[in-house]
Amino acid sequence: MTFVSDTYYMFVRWMKKLVRNPILLFFSLFQPIIFLLLFTQLFSKFGLLLGTNYTVFATAGIILQNSFSSAFQSGTAVVDDIKSGFLTKVLATPASRTSILLGRLLSDAFRVFSQTLIILLLAYGLGVFPVTGIIGYILILITVAFFGLAWSGISLALGLRTKSAETVFGIAGTLTFPLLFMSTALVQQGLMPLWMQNVSSYNPISFAVNAIRDLIMTGYVWGSFSEAYGVISLISILTLGATFYEFRKVVS
Amino acid sequence: MPAVQVENLVKTYGDGTQAVKGISFKVDDGEFFGFLGPNGAGKSTTIKILTTLLRKTSGLANVAGHDIEHDAQKVRKLIGVQMQDTVVDEDLTGRENLMLQGHLQQMHGEELKGRVNELLKIVDLGDAADKRSAYYSGGMKKRLDLASTLVHRPKILFLDEPTTGLDPQSRAQVWSYLKGLNQEGITIFITTQYLEEVDRLCRRLAILDNGEIVAQGTPSELKSEIGADRITLGLENGNPGTGALKDKAKQVLGNLGGITEIVDSDEAIVIYAKNGGFLVPDIVRAFDGAGIKLASIGVSSPTLDDVFLKHTGRRIRPEEIDKSRASGMFGRRRR
Repeated sequence: MTFVSDTYYMFVRWMKKLVRNPILLFFSLFQPIIFLLLFTQLFSKFGLLLGTNYTVFATAGIILQNSFSSAFQSGTAVVDDIKSGFLTKVLATPASRTSILLGRLLSDAFRVFSQTLIILLLAYGLGVFPVTGIIGYILILITVAFFGLAWSGISLALGLRTKSAETVFGIAGTLTFPLLFMSTALVQQGLMPLWMQNVSSYNPISFAVNAIRDLIMTGYVWGSFSEAYGVISLISILTLGATFYEFRKVVS
Repeated sequence: MPAVQVENLVKTYGDGTQAVKGISFKVDDGEFFGFLGPNGAGKSTTIKILTTLLRKTSGLANVAGHDIEHDAQKVRKLIGVQMQDTVVDEDLTGRENLMLQGHLQQMHGEELKGRVNELLKIVDLGDAADKRSAYYSGGMKKRLDLASTLVHRPKILFLDEPTTGLDPQSRAQVWSYLKGLNQEGITIFITTQYLEEVDRLCRRLAILDNGEIVAQGTPSELKSEIGADRITLGLENGNPGTGALKDKAKQVLGNLGGITEIVDSDEAIVIYAKNGGFLVPDIVRAFDGAGIKLASIGVSSPTLDDVFLKHTGRRIRPEEIDKSRASGMFGRRRR
């Protein structure tokens, strides 16, 4: 089964690259931590309006924001591999083509998983205790990792298509905040203007946030949970489909 | 069984550019084969096709006894490929780079570890093996890159400009590795602009120009085809002897006997003549009579440079390669 071993070796390569560039991890975690420490304090009175502790409320949104922005770096890493010729070098070996992508995707998922864990631990220190306990933690981590996978798909497809890290960065930067603000990540839907409520109802981030927020604040709410997985699956099919399509064009 | 066999190979890019126009050639097992040509001749395109990195448009190509399209996986296991740009993963150590290549070539365990140690020693990276390759010098990276193409003991090594951009010392080192590898029985297929090394090391070579093979044979065959000495004439005012002066000079030369060929080079007028030495006084006299001042005159026996010039009308200038370096296969730039 060289498919499995090839995927594993590519995965290990990306993990090594990540660990050896701690500055990348730092920058990637910096923003969510600032949100967790400062943003939630800035809006702490907001909790009165929501009838809850704002830090507890915003944690789900911050977790999603982090997975969203770190997954978006995936495309730039692949652009680097294309530009440096490393991808060509790997393609000259009998390594499975699918493994090359899969190794990257798995490393993205793992990265989002670990970063989320760090944020959750920090939140724990700030008094955020998911009502669903350990199982809730596990479900949150898995959900966020899947969500990250769906977004890396967009980033990878863009990178493979444009072969420009600037473009991927530009699009990611442009999308992040509008998508975040027009979702339920930081504010309850009922407190938004009507038009924004409508937008946020269709915003995929809202679905994932709602599921995770329920796990933290309410308990097991199968409605929000299954909706979230439905949306994540749909996005994954679209974005990963696009990624594999663009990859095929690049390698043949 | 030939190591490489190519028949009527054609590559037309999506934009209609015909980079390779139906070339045929053969490389024998164990040969050191030079694949030369000016920039844009189609060398890199051909190498990418032979190494399964690019699809051919038509024609036949067998590498290591396997069809490059139907048996691409088998071909990939039997070849090593070094592209123009030095490619190492700078976040990994030298050893890790080699291990990764070995793993992707389906090597494992002690066999792989031993092979990697052996290669690190061969390319003199033993001491730096566990340092991140980001800290390597250009020459070290090139050596690591070369080693990484050898982990799986390929039968054929494809090298696209392996010494471009290296300092003379590293260049000599790479050539000596290649010579050693060839002596061990590895077939070497190389594109390069360094004709002296080609002359010294390549058993046979082909010259590609504008997507077509314009000459092939052993270095001595190709040189003797010229059958004449080279006389290089530099004209005063206007170094290349531009315009009218150049035309006048060529007219004068045309009236002299014994000249087999006059080639328009950018830098000087180059003529080929049997027993060139005897012709020098005649040339000087004729130019004197016509009022053309000669800045320089040189006679030499033919070199591969002359072969190249004769077939392509251009000279190879290694120092220019760096500027026009093409990127990887995805940049869509090609040469």
